[in-house]
Amino acid sequence: MAGDRTKRKDRTVGMTRRELLRSAGVSAAVGASTLGAVSYAKPAQQSGNLAASEEAYEQLTTEEGQLLEAIADHLIPSDDSGPGALDAKAVRYIDRALAGALSDSLEAYRAGLAAFQRYCRSSRGGDFMELPHNDRISALIDVETGAATGAGAGFVGSSAAFFSMVRAHVLQGTFGDPYYGGNENFVGWDLIGYPGVRTAVTENDQQRLEAGELRPYRRSAYGWEEFEKATVRAARKGLHHAD
Amino acid sequence: MRCKHPPHFTILIALLAPALVSCYLGAQTAMHSVLVESPTMASGETMSREYTPDGRNLSPPLTWTNLPEGTREIAVICADFGAGNPPPWVHWIIYGIPATARGLPEGLPIHPGQVMPDDIAGAIQGHNGWRRPYYRGPAPPLGTPHLYHFTVYALDEELGLGPRLTREDLLDAMEGHIIGRGELVPVYERFGSPE
Repeated sequence: MAGDRTKRKDRTVGMTRRELLRSAGVSAAVGASTLGAVSYAKPAQQSGNLAASEEAYEQLTTEEGQLLEAIADHLIPSDDSGPGALDAKAVRYIDRALAGALSDSLEAYRAGLAAFQRYCRSSRGGDFMELPHNDRISALIDVETGAATGAGAGFVGSSAAFFSMVRAHVLQGTFGDPYYGGNENFVGWDLIGYPGVRTAVTENDQQRLEAGELRPYRRSAYGWEEFEKATVRAARKGLHHAD
Repeated sequence: MRCKHPPHFTILIALLAPALVSCYLGAQTAMHSVLVESPTMASGETMSREYTPDGRNLSPPLTWTNLPEGTREIAVICADFGAGNPPPWVHWIIYGIPATARGLPEGLPIHPGQVMPDDIAGAIQGHNGWRRPYYRGPAPPLGTPHLYHFTVYALDEELGLGPRLTREDLLDAMEGHIIGRGELVPVYERFGSPE
């Protein structure tokens, strides 16, 4: 499907989603609810059977992890202008976090992913990954708007709440610090032009940043010795960064 | 104290609301009646789930006849007068439809970049109640039948309207230009129960 990838543009209202991310940063993308969070671009994993992920999940089952990857791929797809949530390993971040900081969400993921699959079967006649592209988009929109709530075999709770949770975590996994398992190779930070964690920013740095000339530090906050020491100290006290 | 109206009362109110609006508009000008039909829906009958989130949520096909002479453009609004705060809840807006069009095919684009079919080229889908520029079908609370008013407006002028209009924007823009109107009012009720 490489040919398709060169044509992928997520046109919402006169602007691609990626342009939106680039021009205004992640916070603007998170707040752009009126545009809808589902990308219309064809994602990388668009074939009938999802290409098997090589990721070994810690909390999610393989089936849950692959479904979540397919959803994430529709939220931030990779295209000709940059990588997406799959490249950033956003689902690896979620899976690891479900054992720590997001452990309270594990059951919501289990129930939500199962409900989503049931909803796809009852409304569109097949598993999410087997649906035509337009039906996948349509199903995700219905989950996002809450219209899937109460549908025959679908969500017990609010489908919109499930979508909102997944969206927030996919954004975290794509644009958060790589220390937590996502933002692989800093693809998320590169995507939005984030210059990296800096302990000091001079006026000259600021000017270069605004001119787009500041060379980014492609380095986790925990890759700095000062932070590493703090991490070790916290660990000795039984604290964890993800707590 | 929670006030519960029987379903038929809700339906009566929902039916009366647009009728009152029609009376108001009718007082302004004598309104030509456009006949609105669908190959898959009928007034008072239950809509197919294919036009709802219980199915594929496709936009339903519509046809219209008996347009008034002098029709230059057509617009369609689908609204539920029994929902929304304030009502109605808007499911679909499409305007800038050429006067030569005799209806809308099933399943209009949900992709903003996708072009409209040739016979409605130039038509624009405005923002519905979810602020999305495409059709989203009925999803009423379980066990509560709602009526969905597909209203077709015949306009005496090509209004040249831009994208992203809401129902209110569209009604404002159409004021003084509506020379014909007709409705199709199917029903939908959800019976499914969560597992």
